[in-house]
Amino acid sequence: MYNYDLRQNYYNYNNDNYNKPLYTEDANPNSLYDPYAGFIRGNMFKDLYNPYKTSKPIEIQATTDRDQMLAMLDAFDFATVDINLYLDIYPNDKDMIELFNQYRMERNKLCEEYENLFGPILTSSNANMAYPWAWDNKPWPWEN
Amino acid sequence: MWIYKKKLEYPVNIKRKDLKMAKYLVTQYGGPAGELAAAWQYLNQRYTMPDERGKALLTDIGTEELAHIEIISSMIYQLTNGATSQEMEEAGLGANYAQFGMDLFPSDSFGNPFTMTYIKTVGDPIANLESDMAAEQRARVTYEHLMDLTDDPDVIGPLAFLRQREVIHYQRFKELRNYYLENKIQSKDS
Repeated sequence: MYNYDLRQNYYNYNNDNYNKPLYTEDANPNSLYDPYAGFIRGNMFKDLYNPYKTSKPIEIQATTDRDQMLAMLDAFDFATVDINLYLDIYPNDKDMIELFNQYRMERNKLCEEYENLFGPILTSSNANMAYPWAWDNKPWPWEN
Repeated sequence: MWIYKKKLEYPVNIKRKDLKMAKYLVTQYGGPAGELAAAWQYLNQRYTMPDERGKALLTDIGTEELAHIEIISSMIYQLTNGATSQEMEEAGLGANYAQFGMDLFPSDSFGNPFTMTYIKTVGDPIANLESDMAAEQRARVTYEHLMDLTDDPDVIGPLAFLRQREVIHYQRFKELRNYYLENKIQSKDS
């Protein structure tokens, strides 16, 4: 379990990313990962990606239709979260606002499709018109 | 206000019970570099940020940290789910079982309860943001230590995701800090 070699590598770990100069005001939207690739990395911004130990990003193990749809929803949700943080401090980046809204609309569409099939993710969902009260239904996010 | 999304930011599906790992992981729930401390540090600092960029960034990163508390909690829950009192005892979690049964409790890996004195706030946006940058760095390194302590891909996946979020949050805090320095934006009243 305890891998001594990897532990050694830690001390030679490349920390260059932490010394990057100020990011430019207009990041090129083409330099971003697509939502799924960004999601599995935890980072939409290619030039900021800084992995540890994992030689390649870990794919989401989705075996059911539900898990597959959830992974796509997670991916677009993630893309909007990460671009949102960027836009908070670069509010004048037009291209990035456009990309944010493209992903936001795709996220909303995926969320509605998912909720129609598998029940509500938000209490504001139309899926809450179901009887009996659908919000109570399994699975809860922490259960597997 | 906040709205609950009935899903995780990143999925947690751990198949192998691992009580020792749960004992180590709990520090990212209620330890000094944990997600609870981070969430509250940023959400607490946002009220007096000097401009709209800062208010937005601290609100949004603080909110994301709340989602990270949920990911870590889910990992602890799944790593310990179904354990017996004897297994808990053997893994060094006997005291947890005595006090909390199988409930979660925010503490560090040694069992010291979470304390709000972990959060840093000092009344100066540059000093606050530099505390936030340091918090992200400490959390990133803690995730690396946790990744060193397991070979379960179901555990490494979410840990790698959470670690990478620290990288991005650090970057954004640093960019905002630099923007304030370059534009001489100092405090709410200046």
